[in-house]
Amino acid sequence: MSIDTTQTAPRPTPPTAPASASQAVSTQIESRRRDLASSAFQLMLIASLMIVLAALLATLASVAPGGLEVLRSRGVADFIQRPFSIRPQQTGVYQGIVGTVTSALIVTLVAFPLGLASAIWIEEYAGDTRISRLINVVIRNLAGVPAIVYGLLGYAIFVAGPFKSITGGRSVLSAGLTLSVLVLPIVIITSAEAIRAVPSSLRDGGYAMGATRWQVTRTLVLPNAIGGILTGTILGLARALGEAAPLILIGAKQSGFSAGNWGDLTGDFTALPVLISDWPTRPVSQWDGVTQALILVTLVIILGINAAGIVLRNRFTDKD
Amino acid sequence: MISKKLRLAMATSVVVPALALGACAKKDSSANNADPATKAKADTSVSGKIVVSGSSTVEPITALVREDFIAQNGNVDISVDGPGTGDGFKLFCNGETDISDASRPIKDEEAQACVDTGVEFIELKIGIDGISVIAPEASPVKCLSFADLYALVGPESEGFTKWTDAEPLAKQLGSNTSFPDANLVITAPGTESGTYDSFVELVIESVGKTRVKDGKIAEDKIGATRADYSASPDDNSIIEGVASDPGGLGWVGFAFADQAEGLKLMPITKDPGGTCVEPSSATIQDGSYPISRSLYIYVNKAKAEQNKALAAFIDFYLDGLDGFVEAADYIPLEDSSTTKSLWTARTVGTQQG
Repeated sequence: MSIDTTQTAPRPTPPTAPASASQAVSTQIESRRRDLASSAFQLMLIASLMIVLAALLATLASVAPGGLEVLRSRGVADFIQRPFSIRPQQTGVYQGIVGTVTSALIVTLVAFPLGLASAIWIEEYAGDTRISRLINVVIRNLAGVPAIVYGLLGYAIFVAGPFKSITGGRSVLSAGLTLSVLVLPIVIITSAEAIRAVPSSLRDGGYAMGATRWQVTRTLVLPNAIGGILTGTILGLARALGEAAPLILIGAKQSGFSAGNWGDLTGDFTALPVLISDWPTRPVSQWDGVTQALILVTLVIILGINAAGIVLRNRFTDKD
Repeated sequence: MISKKLRLAMATSVVVPALALGACAKKDSSANNADPATKAKADTSVSGKIVVSGSSTVEPITALVREDFIAQNGNVDISVDGPGTGDGFKLFCNGETDISDASRPIKDEEAQACVDTGVEFIELKIGIDGISVIAPEASPVKCLSFADLYALVGPESEGFTKWTDAEPLAKQLGSNTSFPDANLVITAPGTESGTYDSFVELVIESVGKTRVKDGKIAEDKIGATRADYSASPDDNSIIEGVASDPGGLGWVGFAFADQAEGLKLMPITKDPGGTCVEPSSATIQDGSYPISRSLYIYVNKAKAEQNKALAAFIDFYLDGLDGFVEAADYIPLEDSSTTKSLWTARTVGTQQG
């Protein structure tokens, strides 16, 4: 990251260059054709950015007025502290927030260490064998498997399968573990790329000093790769938090239920994206406003979790 | 390198709107505890856990009963869900749920599954839901008969792209409704929905039977509508799809259609030339509107005997039955005494003929 800014600075013309050559270069640089092409390219880049921003802003613009109105009249505190109610003027997102934040914690605790360890093994220990290459391909394919398939897998293993006695079946623990499995490939791939980007001269230096592989990994490779690794984890977390389909399969509630408090890992649960998939199917005239408010709250919370991840990453990468 | 300032700005950009929203918060909570839907009294001496699943149509009623019950007795843990009538019966016969909501009576094979697992159930009819045939408000069509509906959306209508395409078939079936010269754009529930099943059973099959007798179509074809229409599980998108096209046509539950804007709730007659009846609470309740279905809850009898909370919950449900059903925008039964006596006597089995 620190290299980026220095590279964009214009390079001064080497003072030793002959006048004619430097002139040729400058005409080449300043010639009209060149200029046109480069500004067209720049325009295209800006246009692309605008399209991306427009989509985001259109979403915000369509939910913000109605959502803010509900949050203002009901009060944010009221809306985020109430459980689901079949009466839209009384409903709240408390149970959804608990489910989403709890599964975020579980994903961080499970997927991050497992993913990091797998990435280290692949990059530092496995070597370039046929088996390690096969594992690489498999992981890359797993990253593209539809989320609903992970939902089925999670149901078979955590809800109905061997871990049922631990997870309590249709619980937030099952949901968090399923989402962890879902994002593992993303965490592994991005972590492995970050580790691979560490120059091998650094490793060679370490080995030349007589360090063991573990010492090289711990003191040279990881500190230099941690920024990229955390970026991958944040990306994975963002994907996990936006998923509704696998959670519905796991058994996230889409109506009234009594459980869903902080710390209740094995009881009934729901999550914000699941609520977002349910509320729009209810009568529009009554549920419109609260659904928009729900989407706003979800955006703020997911943004908040991501921001926390980014702050954490920058804290780590500041050290060098 | 991102400067510390920029990072601070990013963090504040998240926190500030949240705080700003919080600052706007009115601390007035008077509007929060809406009045209960009925005067029914919950037994406050019981505690326990009740699990309900089943029809998404019935879910709003049961969810309402749940809320009013736990408002009086918070010691009972009740969870409600609405994956669909069929899915609900699977869980119910497996013994995973105590109550199964249903927007149709239990099917023979579902009842057999319950017999196989030894689950005895009490079938309680709780209310009525009309199915509204909908068109855009400006539609020139005044009334549709079952024959017209069969001609427009039945299995023999496959490929009809204009309303007028269906006219010859409707004529054959004895109808003389004149259809508009507009594109026929059908948006309706998909085959997984109870509303679809009820519509097919009440409308398509009743006309289809005469077509089978006449040898016009094979018997196994009349259990479905045409396949070439846009299906949606979401009532709101069905309503939007129908209202947005001048030639729109579809069907949804009355509770949904009645609240929507820009729609014509089509008057319906069973036989061509008969009296056209518009759907309304009154016409659905007295049965003069021809497309309606009953809503049920199925209670696991053994669990109702063991779990006092479950029995108290059903007592509460039936005590305020009409109020709950109306508050959820469905139509109360004309006479709920049969339902109440079935529960009092704990009569097991289906009451279907």
